[in-house]
Amino acid sequence: MAKIIVVTSGKGGVGKTTSTAAIGAGLAMRGKKTVVIDFDVGLRNLDMIMGCERRVVFDFINVIQGDAKIKQALITDRRLENLSILPTSQTRDKDALTKEGVEKVLNELREQFDYIICDSPAGIERGAHLAMYYADEAVVVTNPEVSSVRDSDRVLGLLSAKTNRAEKGEGEVKSHLLLTRYDPARVARGEMMKVDDILEILSIPLLGIIPESTAVLKASNVGTPVTFDTKSNAGKAYEDAVSRLIGEQLEMKIQPERQGLFQRLLRRTA
Amino acid sequence: MQSVNPKPGTQVSVATTPLQVRGRSFTAVVLRMAGPPDAGFFEALDTLMRQAPHFFVNAPLVLDVEHAADLGEKAEFVKLVHQLRARKLFAVGIQGATPEQGNAAFGAGLITLQGGREASLERGAARAAPAELKAVTSVEPAATLLITEPVRSGQRIFADRGDLIVMAPVSSGAELIAHGNIHIYGPLRGRALAGVNGDRTARIFCQNLEAELIAIAGLYRTSDDLGPALRQTRIQAFLKDDTLCVEPLK
Ligand SMILES: Nc1ncnc2c1ncn2[C@@H]1O[C@H](COP(=O)(O)OP(=O)(O)OP(=O)(O)O)[C@@H](O)[C@H]1O
Ligand SMILES: [Mg+2]
Repeated sequence: MAKIIVVTSGKGGVGKTTSTAAIGAGLAMRGKKTVVIDFDVGLRNLDMIMGCERRVVFDFINVIQGDAKIKQALITDRRLENLSILPTSQTRDKDALTKEGVEKVLNELREQFDYIICDSPAGIERGAHLAMYYADEAVVVTNPEVSSVRDSDRVLGLLSAKTNRAEKGEGEVKSHLLLTRYDPARVARGEMMKVDDILEILSIPLLGIIPESTAVLKASNVGTPVTFDTKSNAGKAYEDAVSRLIGEQLEMKIQPERQGLFQRLLRRTA
Repeated sequence: MQSVNPKPGTQVSVATTPLQVRGRSFTAVVLRMAGPPDAGFFEALDTLMRQAPHFFVNAPLVLDVEHAADLGEKAEFVKLVHQLRARKLFAVGIQGATPEQGNAAFGAGLITLQGGREASLERGAARAAPAELKAVTSVEPAATLLITEPVRSGQRIFADRGDLIVMAPVSSGAELIAHGNIHIYGPLRGRALAGVNGDRTARIFCQNLEAELIAIAGLYRTSDDLGPALRQTRIQAFLKDDTLCVEPLK
Protein backbone atom coordinates (compact mmCIF):
# COMPACT_ATOMS: atom_id res chain seq x y z
CA MET A 1 0.00 0.00 0.00
CA ALA A 2 1.48 3.28 -1.11
CA LYS A 3 1.98 6.30 1.06
CA ILE A 4 0.39 9.42 -0.45
CA ILE A 5 2.45 12.58 -0.04
CA VAL A 6 1.25 16.01 -1.17
CA VAL A 7 3.76 18.71 -2.07
CA THR A 8 2.01 21.97 -1.30
CA SER A 9 2.68 25.59 -0.32
CA GLY A 10 -0.19 28.02 -0.78
CA LYS A 11 2.12 30.56 -2.38
CA GLY A 12 3.02 30.09 -6.03
CA GLY A 13 6.44 29.69 -7.56
CA VAL A 14 8.18 28.54 -4.40
CA GLY A 15 9.44 25.24 -5.88
CA LYS A 16 6.65 22.67 -5.50
CA THR A 17 7.02 21.15 -8.95
CA THR A 18 10.82 21.17 -8.72
CA SER A 19 10.55 19.44 -5.33
CA THR A 20 7.97 16.90 -6.51
CA ALA A 21 10.24 15.83 -9.37
CA ALA A 22 13.33 15.79 -7.16
CA ILE A 23 11.72 13.84 -4.33
CA GLY A 24 10.06 11.42 -6.74
CA ALA A 25 13.37 10.75 -8.46
CA GLY A 26 15.18 10.45 -5.13
CA LEU A 27 12.72 7.84 -3.86
CA ALA A 28 12.95 5.89 -7.12
CA MET A 29 16.75 5.96 -6.96
CA ARG A 30 16.44 4.20 -3.62
CA GLY A 31 14.40 1.44 -5.18
CA LYS A 32 10.97 2.69 -4.12
CA LYS A 33 8.27 2.34 -6.74
CA THR A 34 7.12 5.93 -7.10
CA VAL A 35 4.54 7.82 -9.12
CA VAL A 36 4.33 11.60 -9.33
CA ILE A 37 0.94 13.14 -10.17
CA ASP A 38 0.41 16.62 -11.60
CA PHE A 39 -2.62 18.25 -9.93
CA ASP A 40 -1.93 21.61 -11.56
CA VAL A 41 -4.60 21.19 -14.22
CA GLY A 42 -4.28 23.67 -17.05
CA LEU A 43 -0.60 24.43 -16.54
CA ARG A 44 1.22 21.13 -16.90
CA ASN A 45 4.71 21.76 -15.61
CA LEU A 46 5.64 18.46 -14.04
CA ASP A 47 5.99 16.53 -17.29
CA MET A 48 8.29 19.24 -18.63
CA ILE A 49 10.54 19.18 -15.61
CA MET A 50 10.56 15.38 -15.84
CA GLY A 51 11.42 15.62 -19.53
CA CYS A 52 8.52 13.56 -20.83
CA GLU A 53 6.16 16.19 -22.24
CA ARG A 54 6.43 14.75 -25.73
CA ARG A 55 5.36 11.30 -24.58
CA VAL A 56 1.99 12.37 -23.14
CA VAL A 57 -0.98 10.75 -24.85
CA PHE A 58 -3.58 10.37 -22.11
CA ASP A 59 -3.68 12.26 -18.84
CA PHE A 60 -5.05 12.32 -15.28
CA ILE A 61 -8.28 13.98 -16.40
CA ASN A 62 -8.86 11.36 -19.12
CA VAL A 63 -8.52 8.68 -16.44
CA ILE A 64 -10.86 10.46 -14.03
CA GLN A 65 -13.48 10.82 -16.74
CA GLY A 66 -13.14 7.20 -17.78
CA ASP A 67 -11.73 7.96 -21.23
CA ALA A 68 -8.50 6.08 -20.58
CA LYS A 69 -7.14 3.44 -18.25
CA ILE A 70 -4.46 4.37 -15.73
CA LYS A 71 -2.01 2.09 -17.52
CA GLN A 72 -2.46 4.09 -20.72
CA ALA A 73 -1.82 7.41 -19.00
CA LEU A 74 1.16 6.46 -16.81
CA ILE A 75 4.52 7.31 -18.35
CA THR A 76 7.56 5.40 -17.15
CA ASP A 77 10.72 7.45 -16.76
CA ARG A 78 13.40 6.61 -19.34
CA ARG A 79 16.17 6.70 -16.77
CA LEU A 80 14.52 4.99 -13.83
CA GLU A 81 12.03 2.20 -14.32
CA ASN A 82 10.79 2.68 -10.74
CA LEU A 83 9.58 6.16 -11.54
CA SER A 84 6.28 6.95 -13.25
CA ILE A 85 4.44 10.14 -13.94
CA LEU A 86 0.74 10.79 -14.32
CA PRO A 87 0.61 14.02 -16.31
CA THR A 88 -2.29 16.42 -16.31
CA SER A 89 -4.25 18.11 -19.04
CA GLN A 90 -3.42 21.54 -20.34
CA THR A 91 -6.71 22.10 -22.06
CA ARG A 92 -9.04 21.48 -19.14
CA ASP A 93 -9.53 23.39 -15.92
CA LYS A 94 -9.61 22.43 -12.28
CA ASP A 95 -13.34 21.71 -12.34
CA ALA A 96 -12.54 18.53 -14.22
CA LEU A 97 -11.10 17.17 -10.95
CA THR A 98 -13.64 15.56 -8.66
CA LYS A 99 -13.21 14.11 -5.20
CA GLU A 100 -14.59 10.75 -6.26
CA GLY A 101 -12.45 10.68 -9.40
CA VAL A 102 -9.29 11.51 -7.51
CA GLU A 103 -10.06 8.90 -4.87
CA LYS A 104 -10.63 6.22 -7.47
CA VAL A 105 -7.36 6.92 -9.26
CA LEU A 106 -5.39 7.08 -6.00
CA ASN A 107 -6.88 3.81 -4.77
CA GLU A 108 -5.84 2.08 -7.95
CA LEU A 109 -2.32 3.55 -7.79
CA ARG A 110 -1.96 2.61 -4.13
CA GLU A 111 -1.89 -1.06 -5.12
CA GLN A 112 0.97 -0.65 -7.56
CA PHE A 113 3.33 1.84 -5.92
CA ASP A 114 5.22 2.50 -2.69
CA TYR A 115 4.95 6.28 -2.92
CA ILE A 116 2.45 8.59 -4.61
CA ILE A 117 3.68 12.19 -4.77
CA CYS A 118 1.04 14.81 -5.60
CA ASP A 119 2.24 18.12 -7.07
CA SER A 120 -0.28 20.68 -5.85
CA PRO A 121 -1.17 23.87 -7.69
CA ALA A 122 -0.62 27.14 -5.84
CA GLY A 123 -3.44 28.68 -3.85
CA ILE A 124 -5.92 27.15 -1.46
CA GLU A 125 -8.79 26.59 -3.88
CA ARG A 126 -10.25 23.45 -5.37
CA GLY A 127 -7.11 22.11 -7.09
CA ALA A 128 -4.93 22.54 -4.03
CA HIS A 129 -7.66 21.15 -1.80
CA LEU A 130 -8.06 18.00 -3.87
CA ALA A 131 -4.29 17.51 -4.09
CA MET A 132 -4.05 17.41 -0.29
CA TYR A 133 -7.38 15.76 0.46
CA TYR A 134 -6.27 12.10 0.46
CA ALA A 135 -2.68 12.70 1.64
CA ASP A 136 -1.06 10.70 4.42
CA GLU A 137 1.82 13.14 4.67
CA ALA A 138 2.59 16.61 3.40
CA VAL A 139 5.75 18.35 2.28
CA VAL A 140 5.14 22.04 2.82
CA VAL A 141 7.45 23.93 0.48
CA THR A 142 8.42 27.34 1.86
CA ASN A 143 10.81 30.11 0.83
CA PRO A 144 12.54 32.07 3.59
CA GLU A 145 10.30 35.10 3.27
CA VAL A 146 7.36 36.38 5.27
CA SER A 147 4.61 35.93 2.69
CA SER A 148 5.61 32.37 1.91
CA VAL A 149 5.78 31.45 5.60
CA ARG A 150 2.36 32.96 6.15
CA ASP A 151 0.87 30.97 3.29
CA SER A 152 2.47 27.78 4.54
CA ASP A 153 0.93 28.40 7.93
CA ARG A 154 -2.43 28.77 6.26
CA VAL A 155 -1.94 25.52 4.37
CA LEU A 156 -0.98 23.73 7.59
CA GLY A 157 -4.31 24.84 9.01
CA LEU A 158 -6.12 23.33 6.03
CA LEU A 159 -4.11 20.11 6.31
CA SER A 160 -5.23 19.76 9.90
CA ALA A 161 -8.90 20.44 9.15
CA LYS A 162 -9.89 19.94 5.53
CA THR A 163 -8.40 16.57 4.64
CA ASN A 164 -9.94 13.11 4.54
CA ARG A 165 -7.85 12.08 7.55
CA ALA A 166 -8.98 15.08 9.56
CA GLU A 167 -12.62 14.70 8.61
CA LYS A 168 -12.70 10.96 9.35
CA GLY A 169 -10.67 11.40 12.54
CA GLU A 170 -7.95 9.09 11.25
CA GLY A 171 -5.14 11.13 12.74
CA GLU A 172 -3.24 14.06 11.39
CA VAL A 173 -1.57 14.47 8.03
CA LYS A 174 2.10 14.32 9.03
CA SER A 175 3.62 17.56 7.75
CA HIS A 176 7.26 18.29 6.94
CA LEU A 177 8.83 21.64 6.19
CA LEU A 178 10.99 21.88 3.09
CA LEU A 179 12.81 25.20 2.88
CA THR A 180 13.74 25.99 -0.70
CA ARG A 181 15.62 28.73 -2.53
CA TYR A 182 17.56 29.32 0.66
CA ASP A 183 20.34 31.84 0.12
CA PRO A 184 22.71 31.98 3.14
CA ALA A 185 24.25 35.26 1.98
CA ARG A 186 20.87 36.97 1.81
CA VAL A 187 19.88 35.51 5.17
CA ALA A 188 23.10 36.91 6.65
CA ARG A 189 22.26 40.32 5.21
CA GLY A 190 18.84 40.15 6.83
CA GLU A 191 17.01 40.04 3.49
CA MET A 192 15.62 36.58 4.14
CA MET A 193 14.23 34.90 7.23
CA LYS A 194 16.39 32.72 9.43
CA VAL A 195 15.68 28.99 9.68
CA ASP A 196 15.01 29.19 13.41
CA ASP A 197 12.50 31.99 13.01
CA ILE A 198 10.62 30.03 10.37
CA LEU A 199 10.59 26.88 12.48
CA GLU A 200 9.37 28.86 15.45
CA ILE A 201 6.37 30.13 13.50
CA LEU A 202 5.44 26.95 11.68
CA SER A 203 6.41 24.48 14.43
CA ILE A 204 6.70 21.41 12.22
CA PRO A 205 9.79 19.23 11.65
CA LEU A 206 12.32 20.30 9.05
CA LEU A 207 12.77 17.90 6.16
CA GLY A 208 15.55 19.78 4.41
CA ILE A 209 17.04 23.06 3.28
CA ILE A 210 17.45 23.38 -0.48
CA PRO A 211 19.83 26.19 -1.39
CA GLU A 212 19.18 28.65 -4.19
CA SER A 213 21.10 27.03 -6.99
CA THR A 214 21.77 27.43 -10.69
CA ALA A 215 21.67 23.63 -10.92
CA VAL A 216 17.87 23.77 -10.57
CA LEU A 217 17.40 25.92 -13.64
CA LYS A 218 19.92 23.87 -15.61
CA ALA A 219 18.17 20.64 -14.67
CA SER A 220 14.72 21.91 -15.57
CA ASN A 221 15.96 23.20 -18.91
CA VAL A 222 17.09 19.73 -19.92
CA GLY A 223 14.10 18.02 -18.31
CA THR A 224 15.82 16.12 -15.50
CA PRO A 225 14.94 16.14 -11.83
CA VAL A 226 17.80 17.94 -10.07
CA THR A 227 18.38 14.90 -7.86
CA PHE A 228 20.10 13.22 -10.83
CA ASP A 229 22.74 15.94 -10.64
CA THR A 230 24.33 14.25 -7.64
CA LYS A 231 27.26 16.64 -7.58
CA SER A 232 25.16 19.80 -7.30
CA ASN A 233 24.39 21.29 -3.90
CA ALA A 234 20.66 21.30 -4.59
CA GLY A 235 20.76 17.68 -5.75
CA LYS A 236 22.55 16.66 -2.56
CA ALA A 237 20.13 18.62 -0.41
CA TYR A 238 17.15 16.88 -2.04
CA GLU A 239 18.85 13.52 -1.52
CA ASP A 240 19.19 14.28 2.19
CA ALA A 241 15.56 15.36 2.33
CA VAL A 242 14.49 12.08 0.74
CA SER A 243 16.53 10.15 3.31
CA ARG A 244 14.71 11.94 6.09
CA LEU A 245 11.36 11.38 4.39
CA ILE A 246 11.87 7.61 4.54
CA GLY A 247 12.87 7.87 8.16
CA GLU A 248 16.65 8.10 8.22
CA GLN A 249 18.28 10.39 10.76
CA LEU A 250 20.65 12.84 9.11
CA GLU A 251 22.41 15.92 10.36
CA MET A 252 20.90 19.10 8.91
CA LYS A 253 23.40 21.09 6.93
CA ILE A 254 23.19 23.80 4.35
CA GLN A 255 24.92 22.57 1.23
CA PRO A 256 27.44 25.15 0.03
CA GLU A 257 27.50 26.25 -3.59
CA ARG A 258 30.12 24.23 -5.39
CA GLN A 259 32.87 26.51 -6.49
CA GLY A 260 34.43 26.41 -9.93
CA LEU A 261 38.12 25.79 -10.45
CA PHE A 262 38.70 29.45 -11.02
CA GLN A 263 37.16 30.46 -7.74
CA ARG A 264 39.15 27.83 -5.88
CA LEU A 265 42.38 29.02 -7.39
CA LEU A 266 41.56 32.58 -6.58
CA ARG A 267 40.82 31.78 -3.02
CA ARG A 268 44.00 29.84 -2.58
CA THR A 269 46.20 32.67 -3.75
CA ALA A 270 44.27 35.38 -2.00
CA MET B 1 -15.79 46.42 15.65
CA GLN B 2 -19.02 44.56 16.03
CA SER B 3 -20.80 45.31 12.84
CA VAL B 4 -19.99 44.77 9.21
CA ASN B 5 -23.03 46.60 7.97
CA PRO B 6 -22.14 49.76 6.10
CA LYS B 7 -24.15 52.79 7.12
CA PRO B 8 -27.10 53.53 4.89
CA GLY B 9 -26.12 56.18 2.43
CA THR B 10 -22.47 55.29 2.12
CA GLN B 11 -23.11 54.09 -1.39
CA VAL B 12 -24.40 57.41 -2.65
CA SER B 13 -22.90 57.98 -6.02
CA VAL B 14 -21.75 61.19 -7.63
CA ALA B 15 -22.41 59.85 -11.10
CA THR B 16 -25.43 60.99 -13.02
CA THR B 17 -27.08 57.55 -13.14
CA PRO B 18 -30.11 57.40 -10.85
CA LEU B 19 -29.05 54.13 -9.27
CA GLN B 20 -26.22 51.69 -8.93
CA VAL B 21 -26.40 47.98 -8.43
CA ARG B 22 -23.80 46.32 -6.29
CA GLY B 23 -23.43 42.74 -5.13
CA ARG B 24 -22.66 42.57 -1.45
CA SER B 25 -22.69 39.85 1.12
CA PHE B 26 -23.78 40.26 4.68
CA THR B 27 -23.69 37.86 7.53
CA ALA B 28 -27.10 36.76 8.76
CA VAL B 29 -27.98 34.92 11.91
CA VAL B 30 -29.82 31.69 11.27
CA LEU B 31 -32.36 30.70 13.88
CA ARG B 32 -33.03 27.02 13.61
CA MET B 33 -36.52 26.28 14.85
CA ALA B 34 -36.85 22.93 16.51
CA GLY B 35 -40.66 23.07 16.30
CA PRO B 36 -43.56 25.50 16.03
CA PRO B 37 -43.18 29.02 17.49
CA ASP B 38 -45.03 28.25 20.70
CA ALA B 39 -44.56 29.61 24.22
CA GLY B 40 -41.58 27.31 24.78
CA PHE B 41 -39.86 28.66 21.70
CA PHE B 42 -40.21 32.26 22.80
CA GLU B 43 -39.18 31.44 26.34
CA ALA B 44 -35.93 29.90 25.07
CA LEU B 45 -35.40 32.80 22.70
CA ASP B 46 -35.88 35.35 25.49
CA THR B 47 -33.43 33.50 27.71
CA LEU B 48 -30.90 33.46 24.91
CA MET B 49 -31.36 37.18 24.30
CA ARG B 50 -30.87 37.95 27.96
CA GLN B 51 -27.61 36.00 27.91
CA ALA B 52 -26.36 37.47 24.69
CA PRO B 53 -27.99 40.89 24.42
CA HIS B 54 -25.66 42.18 21.72
CA PHE B 55 -25.66 39.13 19.60
CA PHE B 56 -28.70 39.97 17.52
CA VAL B 57 -28.29 43.73 17.30
CA ASN B 58 -28.77 44.83 13.71
CA ALA B 59 -28.34 41.31 12.42
CA PRO B 60 -30.60 40.16 9.63
CA LEU B 61 -32.34 37.03 10.83
CA VAL B 62 -33.06 33.95 8.75
CA LEU B 63 -35.48 31.35 10.08
CA ASP B 64 -34.61 27.75 9.37
CA VAL B 65 -37.97 25.98 9.22
CA GLU B 66 -36.74 22.58 8.13
CA HIS B 67 -37.87 21.09 11.45
CA ALA B 68 -40.97 23.22 11.79
CA ALA B 69 -43.03 21.44 9.16
CA ASP B 70 -46.43 22.41 10.57
CA LEU B 71 -45.69 26.10 10.25
CA GLY B 72 -47.49 26.66 6.97
CA GLU B 73 -50.08 29.44 7.03
CA LYS B 74 -49.40 32.99 5.94
CA ALA B 75 -51.10 34.26 9.11
CA GLU B 76 -48.74 32.22 11.24
CA PHE B 77 -45.72 33.75 9.53
CA VAL B 78 -47.14 37.25 9.87
CA LYS B 79 -47.69 36.67 13.58
CA LEU B 80 -44.19 35.26 14.03
CA VAL B 81 -42.61 38.21 12.26
CA HIS B 82 -44.48 40.57 14.56
CA GLN B 83 -43.52 38.67 17.67
CA LEU B 84 -39.88 38.77 16.60
CA ARG B 85 -40.06 42.44 15.74
CA ALA B 86 -41.42 43.15 19.20
CA ARG B 87 -38.06 41.81 20.42
CA LYS B 88 -36.15 43.99 17.94
CA LEU B 89 -35.37 40.95 15.83
CA PHE B 90 -35.74 41.46 12.11
CA ALA B 91 -36.51 38.40 10.07
CA VAL B 92 -35.68 38.79 6.41
CA GLY B 93 -36.19 35.30 5.08
CA ILE B 94 -36.55 31.59 5.64
CA GLN B 95 -34.53 28.58 4.65
CA GLY B 96 -35.13 24.84 4.56
CA ALA B 97 -38.71 25.57 3.46
CA THR B 98 -41.14 23.50 1.41
CA PRO B 99 -42.63 25.33 -1.59
CA GLU B 100 -45.89 25.79 0.37
CA GLN B 101 -44.03 27.29 3.31
CA GLY B 102 -42.13 29.50 0.89
CA ASN B 103 -45.39 30.87 -0.54
CA ALA B 104 -46.93 31.45 2.87
CA ALA B 105 -43.77 33.19 4.13
CA PHE B 106 -43.64 35.33 1.02
CA GLY B 107 -47.06 36.68 2.01
CA ALA B 108 -45.50 37.75 5.31
CA GLY B 109 -42.68 39.58 3.51
CA LEU B 110 -40.08 36.85 3.93
CA ILE B 111 -37.97 35.64 1.04
CA THR B 112 -36.88 32.05 0.60
CA LEU B 113 -33.13 31.64 0.78
CA GLN B 114 -31.16 28.69 -0.44
CA GLY B 115 -27.68 27.32 -0.05
CA GLY B 116 -26.50 29.64 2.69
CA ARG B 117 -22.89 29.01 3.60
CA GLU B 118 -21.64 28.77 7.12
CA ALA B 119 -20.07 32.18 7.52
CA SER B 120 -16.63 31.82 6.06
CA LEU B 121 -13.58 31.88 8.27
CA GLU B 122 -12.06 34.85 6.53
CA ARG B 123 -14.69 37.39 7.28
CA GLY B 124 -14.43 40.08 9.88
CA ALA B 125 -17.22 40.46 12.32
CA ALA B 126 -17.36 38.69 15.60
CA ARG B 127 -20.86 37.44 15.13
CA ALA B 128 -20.06 35.66 11.92
CA ALA B 129 -18.81 32.56 13.63
CA PRO B 130 -21.97 30.98 15.00
CA ALA B 131 -23.77 30.99 11.68
CA GLU B 132 -26.52 29.10 13.33
CA LEU B 133 -27.74 28.81 16.84
CA LYS B 134 -27.80 25.15 17.56
CA ALA B 135 -29.71 25.14 20.78
CA VAL B 136 -32.58 27.51 20.84
CA THR B 137 -34.77 25.34 22.98
CA SER B 138 -32.20 24.40 25.60
CA VAL B 139 -29.79 27.04 26.78
CA GLU B 140 -26.51 25.47 27.79
CA PRO B 141 -24.35 26.68 30.64
CA ALA B 142 -21.06 28.49 30.05
CA ALA B 143 -18.26 26.21 28.97
CA THR B 144 -14.54 26.67 28.48
CA LEU B 145 -12.99 25.77 25.16
CA LEU B 146 -9.48 24.29 25.31
CA ILE B 147 -7.26 24.28 22.22
CA THR B 148 -3.95 22.40 22.28
CA GLU B 149 -2.97 22.53 18.59
CA PRO B 150 -1.39 25.57 16.89
CA VAL B 151 -3.98 28.02 15.55
CA ARG B 152 -2.88 28.72 11.99
CA SER B 153 -3.21 31.73 9.76
CA GLY B 154 -6.77 31.94 8.43
CA GLN B 155 -8.24 29.84 11.22
CA ARG B 156 -10.77 31.21 13.65
CA ILE B 157 -11.55 29.72 17.03
CA PHE B 158 -14.79 30.81 18.63
CA ALA B 159 -15.64 30.09 22.24
CA ASP B 160 -19.33 30.88 22.11
CA ARG B 161 -20.14 29.84 25.65
CA GLY B 162 -17.34 31.13 27.81
CA ASP B 163 -13.58 31.25 28.09
CA LEU B 164 -11.02 30.22 25.52
CA ILE B 165 -7.70 28.67 26.52
CA VAL B 166 -5.04 28.10 23.86
CA MET B 167 -1.93 26.11 24.77
CA ALA B 168 -0.10 26.57 21.47
CA PRO B 169 1.11 29.35 19.20
CA VAL B 170 -1.47 31.57 17.50
CA SER B 171 -0.19 32.59 14.09
CA SER B 172 -0.48 35.98 12.55
CA GLY B 173 -3.67 35.96 10.50
CA ALA B 174 -5.42 33.68 13.01
CA GLU B 175 -8.29 34.87 15.18
CA LEU B 176 -9.44 33.96 18.68
CA ILE B 177 -12.90 35.02 19.75
CA ALA B 178 -14.59 34.39 23.08
CA HIS B 179 -17.64 35.50 24.97
CA GLY B 180 -15.50 35.28 28.09
CA ASN B 181 -11.77 35.56 28.84
CA ILE B 182 -8.97 34.43 26.56
CA HIS B 183 -5.82 32.76 27.88
CA ILE B 184 -2.90 32.05 25.56
CA TYR B 185 0.03 29.94 26.77
CA GLY B 186 2.18 30.54 23.73
CA PRO B 187 3.00 33.42 21.42
CA LEU B 188 -0.03 35.41 20.27
CA ARG B 189 0.77 36.70 16.80
CA GLY B 190 -2.78 36.95 15.47
CA ARG B 191 -5.89 38.58 16.94
CA ALA B 192 -7.71 37.97 20.18
CA LEU B 193 -11.19 39.34 20.86
CA ALA B 194 -12.59 38.71 24.32
CA GLY B 195 -16.00 39.61 25.69
CA VAL B 196 -17.44 39.88 22.22
CA ASN B 197 -20.94 39.83 23.65
CA GLY B 198 -20.31 43.10 25.37
CA ASP B 199 -18.87 41.65 28.57
CA ARG B 200 -16.64 44.49 29.76
CA THR B 201 -15.17 42.43 32.59
CA ALA B 202 -13.55 39.95 30.20
CA ARG B 203 -9.76 39.83 30.09
CA ILE B 204 -7.00 38.59 27.86
CA PHE B 205 -3.98 36.84 29.35
CA CYS B 206 -1.05 36.10 27.14
CA GLN B 207 2.38 34.53 27.58
CA ASN B 208 4.09 36.31 24.70
CA LEU B 209 2.47 39.31 23.09
CA GLU B 210 3.12 39.81 19.39
CA ALA B 211 -0.53 40.35 18.55
CA GLU B 212 -1.89 42.09 15.50
CA LEU B 213 -4.94 43.14 17.46
CA ILE B 214 -6.51 42.62 20.85
CA ALA B 215 -10.03 43.65 21.78
CA ILE B 216 -12.35 43.49 24.73
CA ALA B 217 -16.07 44.15 24.31
CA GLY B 218 -15.36 45.78 20.97
CA LEU B 219 -12.66 48.19 22.19
CA TYR B 220 -9.44 47.34 20.44
CA ARG B 221 -5.77 48.14 20.06
CA THR B 222 -3.60 47.13 17.14
CA SER B 223 0.07 46.19 17.15
CA ASP B 224 0.89 49.74 16.12
CA ASP B 225 -0.58 51.32 19.21
CA LEU B 226 0.44 48.51 21.55
CA GLY B 227 3.97 49.89 21.33
CA PRO B 228 7.31 48.10 21.46
CA ALA B 229 7.72 48.06 25.25
CA LEU B 230 5.31 45.16 25.79
CA ARG B 231 6.31 43.17 22.72
CA GLN B 232 7.13 39.56 23.48
CA THR B 233 6.27 39.93 27.14
CA ARG B 234 3.67 38.37 29.43
CA ILE B 235 0.66 40.63 29.66
CA GLN B 236 -2.93 40.95 30.69
CA ALA B 237 -5.43 43.21 29.01
CA PHE B 238 -8.60 44.56 30.59
CA LEU B 239 -11.02 47.45 30.36
CA LYS B 240 -10.83 50.37 32.75
CA ASP B 241 -13.53 52.94 32.10
CA ASP B 242 -13.39 53.19 28.34
CA THR B 243 -9.73 52.36 27.91
CA LEU B 244 -8.22 49.07 26.94
CA CYS B 245 -5.30 48.67 29.36
CA VAL B 246 -2.40 46.34 28.71
CA GLU B 247 -0.14 45.60 31.64
CA PRO B 248 2.80 43.31 32.24
CA LEU B 249 1.99 40.15 34.18
CA LYS B 250 4.41 39.47 36.95
N1 LIG C 1 16.43 25.80 -5.22
C1 LIG C 1 16.20 26.58 -6.27
N2 LIG C 1 17.18 27.37 -6.78
C2 LIG C 1 16.95 28.17 -7.84
N3 LIG C 1 15.79 28.23 -8.51
C3 LIG C 1 14.78 27.45 -8.07
C4 LIG C 1 14.93 26.60 -6.93
N4 LIG C 1 13.76 25.96 -6.73
C5 LIG C 1 12.90 26.40 -7.69
N5 LIG C 1 13.51 27.30 -8.50
C6 LIG C 1 12.94 28.00 -9.66
O1 LIG C 1 11.79 28.67 -9.23
C7 LIG C 1 10.78 28.65 -10.25
C8 LIG C 1 9.49 28.06 -9.71
O2 LIG C 1 9.70 26.71 -9.38
P1 LIG C 1 8.54 25.63 -9.47
O3 LIG C 1 7.89 25.65 -10.79
O4 LIG C 1 9.07 24.34 -8.97
O5 LIG C 1 7.54 26.27 -8.39
P2 LIG C 1 6.03 25.85 -8.09
O6 LIG C 1 5.85 26.08 -6.61
O7 LIG C 1 5.72 24.53 -8.62
O8 LIG C 1 5.26 26.97 -8.89
P3 LIG C 1 3.66 27.01 -9.18
O9 LIG C 1 3.06 27.52 -7.92
O10 LIG C 1 3.54 27.97 -10.31
O11 LIG C 1 3.23 25.62 -9.52
C9 LIG C 1 11.35 27.83 -11.40
O12 LIG C 1 11.86 28.72 -12.34
C10 LIG C 1 12.45 27.04 -10.74
O13 LIG C 1 13.50 26.77 -11.65
MG1 LIG D 1 4.12 23.90 -9.96
